[in-house]
Amino acid sequence: MLKIPWNYSKKEGSFFPCPGQQSPNKIVHWLFVGHYWVQLCFYCVFQAPAYHLILEGILILWIIRLLFSKTYKLQERSDLTEKVTESLLRNGSQNHLSLQYQRSTLPPTHKIVVNGNECINFASFNFLGLLDNEKVKNVALASLKKYGVGTCGPRGFYGTFDVHLELEDRIAKFMRTEEAIIYSYGFATIASAIPAYSKRGDLVFVDEAACFAIQKGLQASRSNIKYFKHNDMDDLERLLKEQEFEDQKNPRKARVTRRFLFVEGLYMNTGSICPLPELVKLKYKYKVRIFLEESLSFGVLGEHGRGVTEHFGVNIDDIDLISANMENALASIGGFCCGRSFVIDHQRLSGQGYCFSASLPPMLASAAIEALNIMEDDPDIFRKLSQKCQQIHLALHGISGLKVVGESFSPAFHLQLTRSRGSRENDVKLLQEIVDYCQNRGIALTQARYLDKEEKFLPSPRIIVNIFCIWYSASLSASQNFIVK
Amino acid sequence: MNVGVAHSEVNPNTRIMNSRGIWLAYLILVGFLHVVLLSIPVFSIPVVWTLTHVIHNSTMYWFLHTVKGTPFETPDQGKARLLTHWEQMDYGIQFTSSRKFLTISPIILYLLASFYTKYDPRHFLVNTISLLTALIPKLPQLHGVRIFGINKY
Repeated sequence: MLKIPWNYSKKEGSFFPCPGQQSPNKIVHWLFVGHYWVQLCFYCVFQAPAYHLILEGILILWIIRLLFSKTYKLQERSDLTEKVTESLLRNGSQNHLSLQYQRSTLPPTHKIVVNGNECINFASFNFLGLLDNEKVKNVALASLKKYGVGTCGPRGFYGTFDVHLELEDRIAKFMRTEEAIIYSYGFATIASAIPAYSKRGDLVFVDEAACFAIQKGLQASRSNIKYFKHNDMDDLERLLKEQEFEDQKNPRKARVTRRFLFVEGLYMNTGSICPLPELVKLKYKYKVRIFLEESLSFGVLGEHGRGVTEHFGVNIDDIDLISANMENALASIGGFCCGRSFVIDHQRLSGQGYCFSASLPPMLASAAIEALNIMEDDPDIFRKLSQKCQQIHLALHGISGLKVVGESFSPAFHLQLTRSRGSRENDVKLLQEIVDYCQNRGIALTQARYLDKEEKFLPSPRIIVNIFCIWYSASLSASQNFIVK
Repeated sequence: MNVGVAHSEVNPNTRIMNSRGIWLAYLILVGFLHVVLLSIPVFSIPVVWTLTHVIHNSTMYWFLHTVKGTPFETPDQGKARLLTHWEQMDYGIQFTSSRKFLTISPIILYLLASFYTKYDPRHFLVNTISLLTALIPKLPQLHGVRIFGINKY
C-alpha cells in the first residue's frame, strides 16, 4: 500500500483487500468496500460544487459528441479560382509557334540549312562556333568509344564517371571558384538549384525579366516572390527597405526567413546586362544572397569568358551561386553551378535534377572539357566575338520600323517593332513575315517564343539575333544589307 | 505504423500517432508518471493527481501544439515547417481516431483528477486551466490559427 486516502473512511477498515490477508467474512468485507464507494459517489453529487459538476457534465457530453463526429477535411486555400482553372484547361497550345518546326539538315554552324535553303545562321546560341569544332568532335568520339552513349544511373548510383569529376574540377578552376556541380540538363540546372536553397516561407527578390527556367524554379520553391522592375536598382532598394521595415516589426519571423536575390548575367528576355556592382552593394547592405544565372554570359563576356563577374571586375566570391547552362557557348548539353564548396555541396543531396536524373553522358562531358580547353588556350575569341557584336549592332541600328534592344557587346540581342501594330497577334505575324522573308533570302533568324499564359511578365514580341565569332566579314556585310531591307 | 518497413509517406509525422503501439506507450508513460509521483513521500494523493494532470497537459501542449516542423528532412519543400504536430496529424483531417483519442485522454484524466482531489476549488482552478491549454488548441476552428500571434514562427 502506498497511501490510504480519505481518513474518514478508515473506521470501516481496509477497503482495499490485501492478497495475503484472508478475511474471515468476505461478503461483509466487500459490502464495506461497496458501501464506501457508494458513499463517495453520493458525496460527489451532493457535496461537490455545482460549477464543477456542470463542467464535468459538459466534458462528458463533449466526449460523446467527439465519439460520434465524422472525420472531415478542412477547406484548403487554393489560389486558383474555378474560372481560372477552366480557362487554363481550355487554352491548350495547339497552334503554338514552337510546334511549327524548321527542319535543319546540317549542323548549325555559321551556315545552316533550313528547309532546304542554305542560310547564314543568326538563330543558334553557338556563339564561339564550338559546335562544329574538329577537336571537340574527335574528343567526343574517343569518349563515345570508351564509355558508350548513356550512363543509366544518377550520379549517386554508379552514374559518376571520371570525366564528370574532371569536368567539375575544370569548371571550378576555369571560373576560379572552390567547387562546381554539373547537371545533365541545362533548364533543370537553375530550376533545381533554386528550390534546393529557397523553401516555403523564404523570401525571393527577382527581376521581372527573369527567364522561364528561373520562374519555374521559383514556382517549385514555393517561396514568397517579390518582383522588382527590370534592372531598376531603386525599385529593388525600395522593396529591400520595405522588407527591412517589416523585419523590424517582426524580428522573430525575420530570424527564420532566408532571403535571395535572383538575377541573370545577360537577360534572355531583354538582352540587357545586370548592374552587378550595384547588386553586390545591395547584397551586403541588406544581407541577401545573390544567385546569378549566366547561361548567356558564360563563355561570352569578360576577357577570358568567365562571364559577367569578369566583365565588371566583381570578385566571384561575392556571388553566392553562379549557374549556367553548357548548351550555349560551350556547345555541349547540361548545365553547372559553381561557388563555394559550402554552398555547392548542398545540392549533391538536395538538387532534385542532380539526384534523380541520369548523369550527363560521358561523351558530352568530354566535349565540354575540350571546349573549355579551347577557351583557355585562345582567349582571343572573346575579343573577336565582342568586336563582331559591336559591328553588327551598329549596322542594324538604322533600320526603319525596327529597334535594336540589348547591349552592344552581347552576342544575343533583340529586334523589336518601334511601333506596335495594335495587338500582340499582329506584331507576332509581322515579325514572322520578316523572319520568313529573310529566310528565303539566305538569312536564318528566329522569333523569341513564349508560353504566353505561363510567363509572369510576358515580354513583347521580338526577333533574337545571335552573333558568332566565326563569321566571315564578306557574308556579314551581305547579311547586314538583307536585314536592313 | 509498420516499424522497419519501407513506407512512402512524405511526412511520417502525419501518421505516427495512428499506431496502436504509440497509444499504448502513451498510456503506459502516463501511468508510470503517476506511480513515480505517488512514490514521492511528501505529496498527498490530491497533489499527486493534480501534478500528473498538469505535467501531462503541459507536455502535450509542448509536443503537440508548440514544437513545429519535423525532426527529419521531408521532401515537401518545408510544407510542415510552420505546422505543429497536431496540425500535421493525418494531413489535417479532423476527428480521426487518433485525434479523438488524444482529445478524450486529457478529459478522462481531468475527471479522475477532479474526483481524487475531492472537488477542491484550488485544485479545480489549476486543473481546469491546465485542461483548457490541452483542449482549446485541438479545436478544428483553431487549426492553423495563432491567437494573438502566440508561437507564430
